[in-house]
Amino acid sequence: MRFIARYAKELEENFEVITLYDERIDKELLSKEKPITQTLSRKYPVAIWFERKMHDDFGIVFHDAFDTRPLVHQERFPQGLHPLLRAFNQVHLDASKYLPYKYEAIDGDGVFQVAVGPIHAGIIEPGHFQFSQAGEAILHLEVRHFYKNRGIEKMLEGKTLQEAKPIIERISGNETLAYQICYRDIYLQASQQELPLAIAKRNALLLELERIIHHLTDLGFIPNDAGFGAALTFASRLAEDARRKLQELTGHRFGFGAIDFKNHSIDTLSFKAWLHALQKDVLYFQEWITDIPSLWDRFDTTGILSFDEAIKYNVLGVVARASGISQDRRLNKFYIEHGFKMASETSGDVAARFKVRLQEIINSIEMMHNFLQEDTTSLSLESVKDGEYMSFVESSIGELFMTIDIKEGVIERFYVRDPSFINWQALHLMMQGNIIADFPLINKSCDLSYAGNDL
Amino acid sequence: MIKFWNKRVQEGIVTESKELESELTVIKKEIQERVTKKFAGSLAIRMVDSGSCNACEAECNALSNPYYDLERLGIYFVASPRHADVMLLSGLLTFNMTPHAKDAYAQIPAPKWIITLGDCPVMQAPFEKNYAINAPVGEHFHVTHHIAGCPPNPLEIMQVFLEFIRKIS
Ligand code: SF4
Repeated sequence: MRFIARYAKELEENFEVITLYDERIDKELLSKEKPITQTLSRKYPVAIWFERKMHDDFGIVFHDAFDTRPLVHQERFPQGLHPLLRAFNQVHLDASKYLPYKYEAIDGDGVFQVAVGPIHAGIIEPGHFQFSQAGEAILHLEVRHFYKNRGIEKMLEGKTLQEAKPIIERISGNETLAYQICYRDIYLQASQQELPLAIAKRNALLLELERIIHHLTDLGFIPNDAGFGAALTFASRLAEDARRKLQELTGHRFGFGAIDFKNHSIDTLSFKAWLHALQKDVLYFQEWITDIPSLWDRFDTTGILSFDEAIKYNVLGVVARASGISQDRRLNKFYIEHGFKMASETSGDVAARFKVRLQEIINSIEMMHNFLQEDTTSLSLESVKDGEYMSFVESSIGELFMTIDIKEGVIERFYVRDPSFINWQALHLMMQGNIIADFPLINKSCDLSYAGNDL
Repeated sequence: MIKFWNKRVQEGIVTESKELESELTVIKKEIQERVTKKFAGSLAIRMVDSGSCNACEAECNALSNPYYDLERLGIYFVASPRHADVMLLSGLLTFNMTPHAKDAYAQIPAPKWIITLGDCPVMQAPFEKNYAINAPVGEHFHVTHHIAGCPPNPLEIMQVFLEFIRKIS
């Protein structure tokens, strides 16, 4: 059984802890006076971040957990505050006394610690990586995040779905279309409406366009982190072209606001021509890059995540498919009819993740041909009914899960689990036997979101 | 590799669409001239993300793609604040990032400037102020220039860089 997410909400008398697997949902009520329950982290290691987060958010205690340090709250966060409680309504916090965070560290003769971040050398999002090193070799890595925590969950409470939309589409910029489609599906469930096929096709086309922009960017940055800058120059040009196409289709370079239950006219001829040109360029790139042995010397056997570990840590998306797991939310009738093929590699290393991205770009181009059509269907939205709703989308990183509870027409609880939240927890497994200089390369090969993780 | 060089020779230099090209050329020329004069040929920028959605960072990265190629004009994104002239600050200045953003700024040698990037730091993006957010940034830092947009596109970022350089004496 695959673990998907674990989260809590506050009811009148109780807390409810919800655990979601691919095969079932467990719900447990805890008293507010003594909110204690059993940890799942012994069986599902990635449950630990979910549980540490629930402690920060609500004050829920997990018995027998192997790690009870704060997760979202950092050194200067006021003690004893749980911002997701209804009673909490402060809009400003004063920094309190600095309480050091105890990092996971390996001791020993000559073993030393390297602290990296939160601000990094390049233009990337903030997060902290703490290494235990024996010379160049990495003994252990602790990933520590939540520097970007913007209190999104709390911010959305009390809003209508319409009011929440512009915020939801800005949770993780490079996955905005996936977030918007998750939101779309929840809206449709709540208004009990069916999505016309023509709109589903346009939305799917935009999602694949987002995926190829993300993958193309990585096809440049991964070799760049191995010292091969020419690939970045080549791939970043293709990524820029694709981003301009997205702007042409949606009026925005990232597609903010693009999933709007309407179809807009598309110049299918020029789009097709562009797809053909892109395919030619990507195939050329593939042939060129496959032929550079010194690069594959860096990629092969670097940052391996074995199949067994990938299963144990319930990893998602590109990372899962590169370690031999056939898991993708697009594995359904709609996508298969439009040409979806599951990407797959088994070596679990940087090379495998790179190849999965290449396979997916080629498949996405094929699917975009099939999604493309001239159409101007639109759907007028009905009002929403109260209830608990869930949706899933395969973002460019992996499975995105969103849930919204609506009560009296407004959001009572919003929760979203970015695939990054799970995959980050498996990153340390890829470090064993690698040198610290390869960390950026391994990290980039997974290319996870910090913003979506931190919320 | 031989294929690569063949393609390179066949395709030559990739250029922009005509309209964009002329606009870009004018901006690029002036940036280059002024950076040479006022910053001895190199303007060093330290980008700090204080809680963005990551689209603003993506647009900064796009500045280095072959279309915009900012480095060619003498504007560099540097790894350490100690090498920087300007801090380019994106995001909502979260509670958790506030001390780190301040640290980074303190490390920049004077004279130094802050440019804010995107609607987030000035609280013009759709986010609402709450316990986790310390923006607007102006309440915590002295901001010299602002680049509006959600996110501002690479051309808009370059335009404000130019405006900034023009004003510096
Ligand atoms: S200004 Fe807009 S694009 Fe930039 S970080 Fe904020 S929400 Fe994202």
